[in-house]
Amino acid sequence: MRKQLPLLLTGTAALWVVLCQYIHQFNALKMMGTTDQWQQIIVATMTLVGAVNLTRIHGTNIQRRRSGYYNSIALLVALWAYIAMGIYLTNKHVTYRWVYDATCVPWEATMFSMIAFFIASAAVRTFRIRTAEAAVMGLVAAFVMLGNVPLGPVISDKIPQLKDWLMNIPNGAGFRAIRIGIYIGTFAAAMRIALGLERAHLGSGAQ
Amino acid sequence: MVVFQLAADPVLGILYAGRTMQLLTMIIFSAFVYVMIRRARAGLPVPAIRKIPGLEAVDEAIGRATEMGRPVHFAPGIGGITNADTFAAWAFLGHIAKLCARYDTRLINTNRDYLVHTINEELIRQSYLEAGRPDSYNPDDVRYLTGSQFGYAAGVLGMMQRERPAANILIGYFFAESMLFAEGGANIGAIQIAGTTNTVQLPFFLAACDYTLLGEEIYAGGAYLSKEPNLIGTVVGQDWGRILTFVVMVIGCALANLAAAQGTAFKNYLLTK
Repeated sequence: MRKQLPLLLTGTAALWVVLCQYIHQFNALKMMGTTDQWQQIIVATMTLVGAVNLTRIHGTNIQRRRSGYYNSIALLVALWAYIAMGIYLTNKHVTYRWVYDATCVPWEATMFSMIAFFIASAAVRTFRIRTAEAAVMGLVAAFVMLGNVPLGPVISDKIPQLKDWLMNIPNGAGFRAIRIGIYIGTFAAAMRIALGLERAHLGSGAQ
Repeated sequence: MVVFQLAADPVLGILYAGRTMQLLTMIIFSAFVYVMIRRARAGLPVPAIRKIPGLEAVDEAIGRATEMGRPVHFAPGIGGITNADTFAAWAFLGHIAKLCARYDTRLINTNRDYLVHTINEELIRQSYLEAGRPDSYNPDDVRYLTGSQFGYAAGVLGMMQRERPAANILIGYFFAESMLFAEGGANIGAIQIAGTTNTVQLPFFLAACDYTLLGEEIYAGGAYLSKEPNLIGTVVGQDWGRILTFVVMVIGCALANLAAAQGTAFKNYLLTK
């Protein structure tokens, strides 16, 4: 029953969505919009479940004095204090927004900026010319990079045009092929889940 | 009282106008998948699916980590529980957790989504139980780091430096953190297998990882790794769908070119017929 009920719910929900998408009368009643609202309500409820689960895990860490338990204390204080602050002040309040803008935003920006250095080191490794394919890729990359910097048009007017052609035609075609494959793959994966063939999300034994 | 207005006349009195081609395509693809599932269930031979190096390498990566006595790291990306890539990640995680349990190799799972974390905890615990090693399961190795995208990236990079996993498996929906994870793993010399359907992030994985699963290959992972005939049947059905799409595209391109060459008269002829 523990496995069958979620499978039954999944199959019914999948059938419901198909009906909402393709049956004229369901569509006219805007049933898809209603279904989306149901999903939002479920996810909002699950957010609370997530917060409770997080409290349980980190509460156990603190209780058992596991290594780094003080980090768990910091997490729980931040989590519940910020929730309380949001409820008390509402999420439009300047102080509530400042806490986020003055901490999370600069931290995230710092990490995001680091990507530039990581890209540089990955590029050095990738563009080592060891095979004929790597040589072609290196050459193409050189033209694309030149086409994107002011030096490119100084060398030749053709470089930005070549860059545009490389990006729009061969590169665009490759990406579209991958995307078409993804759409078909997503459909097959959705069918496997709706029919209850793929059940990894219900626990390993369900597979 | 529900007030509604019918948009356009329904096709055959029931189907939503403008989506009939979508529905027809869905029925054809479903038929391919259904035929293959029926064949598999009846014990009839199902065509083999092509070898995917990235999937073959999963067992090798875990074996390497076991030999080196170092952990395996698995990240399911930053997609939530409604993301199809996360479902694909769970199929991988179940297999990886079972292998890690069997070889008594430590598995570290880092998460950004608290709901995905909860499911992963259950999935990994269950896998260890099935492998007959429930005592080896360590709940501290299934970690929720933070809901913030780059906070999560910082947490994973820190973990990589401290615990130096020998295998770094990144399957799921990744955004800008993909480069940080892949390059962080390359710096510690981990064997890296990555896969996502986010085409913008695929080049980063290709540049920094040993094996990359391109787009829909991650969806085939569950079938490929489990060797379950029913699931393999669905992948073969999906491949038939792809062949059909390719044929339709070639015909469409030929007709579009003909229309361009012949002018509007031919285009109108095609549209009216």
